[in-house]
Amino acid sequence: MRPLPSRTLPAIAAIVLVTVALVGHAHAQSSLGIGTNDAMPSGTGLFARQLMWINLKQQEFYRALADAMKAMRQDGSKLWLLIGLSFLYGIFHAAGPGHGKAVISSYMVANEVALRRGILLSFISAFLQAATAIAVMLLAFFVLRGTAISMTDAARFLEISSYVLVTLFGAWLLWKKAGPPLRRLLGAAPAHSLSAAHAGHSHAGHAQHHHHAHAHDSHDHSCGHGHDTHHHVHAATEVCDTCGHAHAPDPALLSGDRFDWRTAWTAIVAVGIRPCSGALIVLSFAFLNGLWAGGILSVLAMAVGTAITVSLLATLAVTAKDWAVALAGDGRVGNRVHTTVEIGGAALVFLFGLLLLSASFSA
Amino acid sequence: MPAATCAALLAVTAPAEVHPHVFAEARLDVVLSPDHGSVASLRHLWRFDELFSSTVLMEFDKNADLALDDAELKEVAGTIFSSLADYDYFQVVTVNGKDFHMKAPSHLMAYFDNNQLIVLFESEPVTPLKLAGKIDFGVYDPTFYTAIDFADDANMAVEGLPANCTRTVIRPDPDTAIAENQKTLTEAFFNDPMGTDMSKIFATRLELTCPPEG
Repeated sequence: MRPLPSRTLPAIAAIVLVTVALVGHAHAQSSLGIGTNDAMPSGTGLFARQLMWINLKQQEFYRALADAMKAMRQDGSKLWLLIGLSFLYGIFHAAGPGHGKAVISSYMVANEVALRRGILLSFISAFLQAATAIAVMLLAFFVLRGTAISMTDAARFLEISSYVLVTLFGAWLLWKKAGPPLRRLLGAAPAHSLSAAHAGHSHAGHAQHHHHAHAHDSHDHSCGHGHDTHHHVHAATEVCDTCGHAHAPDPALLSGDRFDWRTAWTAIVAVGIRPCSGALIVLSFAFLNGLWAGGILSVLAMAVGTAITVSLLATLAVTAKDWAVALAGDGRVGNRVHTTVEIGGAALVFLFGLLLLSASFSA
Repeated sequence: MPAATCAALLAVTAPAEVHPHVFAEARLDVVLSPDHGSVASLRHLWRFDELFSSTVLMEFDKNADLALDDAELKEVAGTIFSSLADYDYFQVVTVNGKDFHMKAPSHLMAYFDNNQLIVLFESEPVTPLKLAGKIDFGVYDPTFYTAIDFADDANMAVEGLPANCTRTVIRPDPDTAIAENQKTLTEAFFNDPMGTDMSKIFATRLELTCPPEG
């Protein structure tokens, strides 16, 4: 394992450079000061042509979507047109890469995740995102209107929470993946370290009642609960304040051999609490015009479309990793490639969070 | 690190989720000086789409009466005004291909008409802008958040343009623009990712060509 760091460090350095170049200019605040802009302006760079094409397609869909909503206000039978367009919009929307698919894909590269589960992860995170958008909108419509808190504030708050979670999650993943080889290298081998292990704690927001499923099963108390690191993001719709404790995993699970739903949920929540601004716009128009079912069905259809694209991209990333490992063989080289790729994936999640976070504050 | 993995990671991480969420039908009036020899100001009118307009209504309706009164509209205007300052008010003016600076507008007006937000502002040149040579006026959001559409060439107007000047509206085709400017775009990516280069390439613009000065 000696040569590992010398290979790992350049790989990480390369990832840092690429990531900085690509996300260094993300701006959360929009140019009009109303609403949030989904990502950086980029008609330039490595994939300029492809991204521009996607951009144009998205624009066409968005226009068609807007027309379908207006048509539905006149004629309720246009609902199916709206749902179909929303589905296609979701597919294209996700094809212009954003942080959600990057986090899910990198997480899958960094972990042994069966593809079937990865696809499930993509779907859950996309639906959580839809649920967040709907919750934010209901909140904006019934609670926040007439208060000093605007929808942009609420969306921005969730967005920053999401970036914070991604960063912490990435730091924790990185520690989990890079820690053991590092410790072996330094000759010291403590059973496990506690420091960064609480990154996954999330107590974020409404629509996360799913946490019940895994909240209180076995966790090693030696890990500590670190309640000071919890992110309390209570929303008015929150019905349960004891759920949502995603405890740091049992060290036995850190080996990566078993799929860890608690870790997976952290990734899902980190991605899912950030509502997509397209969904928010569609919903506010729908709600203002009394098209309740139309708006919600449209956003759910978008989530299905998004999930399909994210699944495809994540599958692509994991397949590439498997090929790389298979090519390198079963021996020491294979192991090294495996470890390097996993550390790279973890580093990517961490850097993503960090860069998105810094960009959203500097904007 | 295997190239395939690198490529795959790159493919999923390029975070350029760029597409306008906001559409505005725009009108630009180039106002000439009384002697018709120079440009006095640029008047902009943007009529926003109904979807975006409804989010604005939702966000600024402090008294929850589902309408924006004067105080609330003032708030809208102020928010947009201060944000646009970071993006040169979406204006790109060049004289014979060289950048020309415009003053910040003194204020911006906002009102609602038929469920649509309408924004108006006026910007003057910093130094006198003589009608001589080739002058281009582009309107574009370099962040791609807002699509500023001039539906009709007549929506970029100059009243009283001297007979020896010609007026053309140029609408760059994005595909051609990308193909022709691949090199510039790559350089712009490293030098000036937020800057005006993209606006120059993609903006719909009004071009006035007049005999050179003197």
